Amino acid sequence: MVLAQILLNGILLGGLYGLMALGMALVWGVLNIVNLAHGALIMLGGYVVYYIFVFTGLDPFAAIAVAMVIMFGVGFLLQYGLLNLIVRSALLNTLLITFGLDVVITYLAQFLFTADFRTINPSYAGANFSAFGLTVPGIRFAAFVVAIALAAALWWLLNRRPLGLAIRATSQNLVAARLYGVDPRILYAVTFGIGTALAGAAGGLYGMIANLTPYIGASLTAKSFVIAIIGGLTNPFNVILGGIVVGIAESLATLYFGATYSDVVSFGLLVLVLVVRPTRTLRAA
Amino acid sequence: MNEVANVAPQAKTIMEARGITKRFQGLVSVDKVSFSLAENEILGLIGPNGAGKTTLVNMIGGTLKPNEGDLLFEGERINDVSPYRRAHLGIARTFQIMKPFPGMSVLENVAVGALFGRDGGEKSMAKAREIAREWITFTGLGQRMDAHADALGGPDRKRLEFAKALAMGPKLLLLDEVMAGLNHVEVDEMVELIKKIRARGVTLLVIEHVIKAIRSLSDRVMVLHHGERIAEGDPALVLADPRVVEAYLGKRRT
Amino acid sequence: MMGRWPLVLAVLVAIVLAGVPWFGNDVAVQFGINALLLATLAQSWNILGGFTGYVSFGNSVFYGLGTYGTAVAMTHFNLPFGVGLVVGAVVAMLCAALVGIPILRLRGPYFAIATLGLNGAMAAIVSNLPIAGSNIGLVLPLMRGDAIFYELALALLVVCTLTVLWISSSRYGMALVAIREDEDAAGSMGVNATLYKVTALVLSALFTAIAGGIHAYWSTFVDPASAFDTTLNVRMVIMCVFGGPGTVFGPVVGSFILSAVYEVLASEISTAAVLFFGLVIVLAVVFTPKGLTDLMAGARRSGWRYLFRNIRENRL
Repeated sequence: MVLAQILLNGILLGGLYGLMALGMALVWGVLNIVNLAHGALIMLGGYVVYYIFVFTGLDPFAAIAVAMVIMFGVGFLLQYGLLNLIVRSALLNTLLITFGLDVVITYLAQFLFTADFRTINPSYAGANFSAFGLTVPGIRFAAFVVAIALAAALWWLLNRRPLGLAIRATSQNLVAARLYGVDPRILYAVTFGIGTALAGAAGGLYGMIANLTPYIGASLTAKSFVIAIIGGLTNPFNVILGGIVVGIAESLATLYFGATYSDVVSFGLLVLVLVVRPTRTLRAA
Repeated sequence: MNEVANVAPQAKTIMEARGITKRFQGLVSVDKVSFSLAENEILGLIGPNGAGKTTLVNMIGGTLKPNEGDLLFEGERINDVSPYRRAHLGIARTFQIMKPFPGMSVLENVAVGALFGRDGGEKSMAKAREIAREWITFTGLGQRMDAHADALGGPDRKRLEFAKALAMGPKLLLLDEVMAGLNHVEVDEMVELIKKIRARGVTLLVIEHVIKAIRSLSDRVMVLHHGERIAEGDPALVLADPRVVEAYLGKRRT
Repeated sequence: MMGRWPLVLAVLVAIVLAGVPWFGNDVAVQFGINALLLATLAQSWNILGGFTGYVSFGNSVFYGLGTYGTAVAMTHFNLPFGVGLVVGAVVAMLCAALVGIPILRLRGPYFAIATLGLNGAMAAIVSNLPIAGSNIGLVLPLMRGDAIFYELALALLVVCTLTVLWISSSRYGMALVAIREDEDAAGSMGVNATLYKVTALVLSALFTAIAGGIHAYWSTFVDPASAFDTTLNVRMVIMCVFGGPGTVFGPVVGSFILSAVYEVLASEISTAAVLFFGLVIVLAVVFTPKGLTDLMAGARRSGWRYLFRNIRENRL
């Protein structure tokens, strides 16, 4: 029974992890940018939701919708004004510039929001319900549902809408994008904006489950990366599945080794996945 | 399968393939191909695009592993030998998509071959540079010694590929379409160069689409079609073989 | 390749630097220790990142192992400082060899992120080890004498730079550069890529760990957060890339300049120095993606237009 509960916790947490990785996988797959500031953007989204909730009293789940619009704008501007300048540069440079962004965002967050722990704490935060003899924490369950819904929305956008087709065509080659009559610079910015909006949503949900501090970015980036690799860069549902794999592994590791080892688990999984099937993952890049 | 027209019996075999097969996700690229190379021989390898020629070269060079069959070099099985150790054994190759080291000068590019080639290469930098200079002059690149590799034009890049491979001191040299995109004069120069290389005692496996060059170079010709060996032997006979004409030359004319 | 005057200039600079403890004040010496150690880290990173093109965000692991190796040897086993340094270096090199063999099979961003994850994993492991003081850290015996630490740091930087100088003109270095330029082609030409990559990582770990050990004894305190600090890692990367990766003196010049600017900013606007650092990375990547060395050559040819040519080349 304990094991079943642990598995359930892992799956619920994993849905959120998958949502974290969704934006990174999208940006990586389409723009070929491995965004090392992705975790910092998740963190930023978390604070945006937190402040909307605190100052307006808006329900956190509604606040997430607002935050996604704001984060879309942030991402759009970042790509349009800055990253578009270097997308054709060497890999090291895209890694470095996004790492630089990570440092800048983390610092600004520490300056604006202070280093104190913050939690998004609506009145119903502690609500649980039970099913099949297991305790289901309400917030986590809701976060899981939101994650699946956003993955489905992304899938629908990419596969059923002209914009999504243009985005997918861009990931194949740039000339194709022009055939859709879209300026690739705008298309890149929109794609990065969508990725950032998804990161923002993930941040909001994260803030309801765990503590927000300005320093969570780096480990969330690493986690998102692991999941993006396990799940692949093309299908949103596979990314969510990748998140669930990592969520379960972390929950099991916490049970058997203790909570401090969760980073070790991510890294172990990462190396395992990369080393065991390098050709397949390399081709995806 | 037709009878193999063997070369003179006294010639020593340097390399042998026994029924090697390569599949990519169910598609057979090279299908149970057997052949042997005698020392100091030039074997021409022809076939339509997608016949498996480059796959075959990649298996000999070691960047791909055959699914079945054995590769022997000087009597030793080399299926599981990594590419760099094959280079130490004396196998060198050129790439169809040429791969100079773009940030290095011509001299440095070729020196890498001398430093790490056969038997692990030359240990002294000065000696390696000397060897490199020799081969650069040999291939006719003497004027471009200090030029950056990515500043070279097409034909010079091919010469650079040659010089890099030759500086490794190979016993067996695999040439993957070194004449593609060259004009008549340049093809003739390349043919002369290959003959000069053979005169130094090197064995060559030459993949080529330029039939004229194959005819004048090869001691024997082998034809691949859909991964299978469909003919092998004297160039004049093979190139006149109706099956070859149909599979390869015929296809070209349409 | 390289003319004689940079070497002469470098020797002169080293001699002048060696004299700083005699005519400089305490502040200058303390700034010097930090700057020299950072330059050593940038130069160590250069061995792998600059020459083979493998971007490591995990060199802070070797720094951390160096600090902890030294600290544990000195506090738990009462070993002298010199032995402590050796212990730290050996542990770091072993780790580099063991981890390097699997993760150096990865290329591009995969390698970079694997090293990033390695840092997190190692920090977590060390903060759970009682012998390493868990997440509290260790206090080392106190030794006064900034001048000694200064000269040690300078000597380490000189040795590290000499090593890079040797690499740049040796058969070994040719292998590393060939791997950077095209690993598959290098393999087909007889370069045992795994051997060279792993030894480059081990060499890099050696100097990084010793720098960590010196810093540990100097600051008399180590804890997981500062020992396995990813921003330290970004610093070494940016200092090296800013100066010119794959060159002999670029990383040293780059880190001296950035350390000086950082120090000035830190005293003027204190905490915003970190922000500045992030901004420098962003601007450097946009305007001088190939480092100072290329900037100097390019600026001589085309002046200010050099900066914008870089943007034109890399933008969408």
